[in-house]
Amino acid sequence: MIVSHFLYVDPGSGSYLVQVIIAAVLGIGMFFKNIKLYIKSLFHRSPKKPKNNPPA
Amino acid sequence: MHHPSSYRDPSGYMFEKDGVLYRQVNLSFRDSFDHFISSGCYDHFVGQGLLIPHETIPGLLTGDARGYATLKPQLIPFITYPWEWTFGMLKDAALLTLQLAREALHYEMMLKDATPYNVQWYRGRLIFIDTLSFERYSETPWIAYRQFCEQFLGPLLLMHYQKLPLQPLQLSWPDGIPLAVISRLLPKRTKFSLHTYLHIHLHARVSGRKGKKQATPHFSKQKLLTLLSSLESLVNKLRLDPQKSTWSEYYEEASGRANYLEDKKAIIAGWLDKIPGLKTGADLGANEGAFARLLSKREIETLAVDFDPFCIDALYKAIKKDNEKKLQPGILDLSNPSPAIGVNNEERMPFLQRVNVDIVLALALVHHLAIGKNIPFEKIADLFHRLGRILVIEFVPKTDEKVQLMLETKPDIYTDYTEDNFVSSFSTYFSIAERQEVEDTGRVLFLMKTKS
Repeated sequence: MIVSHFLYVDPGSGSYLVQVIIAAVLGIGMFFKNIKLYIKSLFHRSPKKPKNNPPA
Repeated sequence: MHHPSSYRDPSGYMFEKDGVLYRQVNLSFRDSFDHFISSGCYDHFVGQGLLIPHETIPGLLTGDARGYATLKPQLIPFITYPWEWTFGMLKDAALLTLQLAREALHYEMMLKDATPYNVQWYRGRLIFIDTLSFERYSETPWIAYRQFCEQFLGPLLLMHYQKLPLQPLQLSWPDGIPLAVISRLLPKRTKFSLHTYLHIHLHARVSGRKGKKQATPHFSKQKLLTLLSSLESLVNKLRLDPQKSTWSEYYEEASGRANYLEDKKAIIAGWLDKIPGLKTGADLGANEGAFARLLSKREIETLAVDFDPFCIDALYKAIKKDNEKKLQPGILDLSNPSPAIGVNNEERMPFLQRVNVDIVLALALVHHLAIGKNIPFEKIADLFHRLGRILVIEFVPKTDEKVQLMLETKPDIYTDYTEDNFVSSFSTYFSIAERQEVEDTGRVLFLMKTKS
């Protein structure tokens, strides 16, 4: 059995920087997606549940 | 003795003592290791079958002053490397790695490396084997992110977009295909695919710049989870489907020769029943694994290899679906078995050193090596005797339609290709225990045992 092949190589500040950029880009994407979902939800309200009349 | 592949990480190392493989945890990693166990993270992963279980051995076996604890992990029957994995296997190993990273965060831990070498085949599935890969999470970006992109995401994207099995690229760049290379080899249109653009093209550009060493930026857990989920959704979309022609041929051939296959199975099963104590086996040229299953169904740990990646991928999917525990798939070209590579040529073992089994099956294979690849019988016999002590082998005569098909496109220089020469060459290494013809096909099965 083999094994440990660890990253003890310098991950490079570039790889850190790109993660910060990606998180920001995807974060903005999610922000607008949530707004879109919210606006959609205003127009497509789920129908109110019919009242459950207890059986007579 | 330090295992030759275990030298990069200061947290601990693998070593062998009296033929048993152990893992030492070093004092420098004590905090993370203790937290990994006491937080329940270890139990969580082992309970789900995602991580190899280990026993803790009292005391230190190495006498090394840096040591903290000694672990004895469960043994992996056959070590394989990513260049022997199919697309589906590499994809599942990538998803496993991302799942472990995501779930470790619940325990305030994070994976500090993301490499296929930390994933191996164990009891019918791919499992993570490096217990020392989990360190305390410290609100920083993912240290293994680039490694993940170069060792998992890159090869998967290249295979997905080029629609080709490109395992040999991983053999050329065993530490991961450089981002700049992946970026250049991917089609231009992938720059318009958001996640591929971010993780590969932008990543290659940004990380290729020379800059001053900067302080590690703060990176929230939410951001890390967003990054991981982006990688996960991208990997999930990738696929490599077999070309249709390859498949239809297999099915056609199998259905047209049902009697032949059944008779062959019956003969081999009869022989297997008479050989006690078989624990490990290998089926060379396993195709869809029909004969490998004669072994695995008898509780023999079986490695099924073939040079056709699509065939082995189909076998992998079948094993996964039926949850077969004793069968392991792998891609291998027997005319060029995986070499020793890495530091001092010791880091990744050659195939012939990793596999030494009780029984080897080599069915409908000899003509591919002898006539297809011009390999003399002596060399083929030498190869097989290095792999195992008992050999079930099929000789396909020159008159066979499959051999004739091969000879249609090349001059027949194979005057030595006769059963007599085959037997005499193999007799250098083996004694022949049984010989039986399969139906009236002219094909002959042999049961051989290595000469001690």
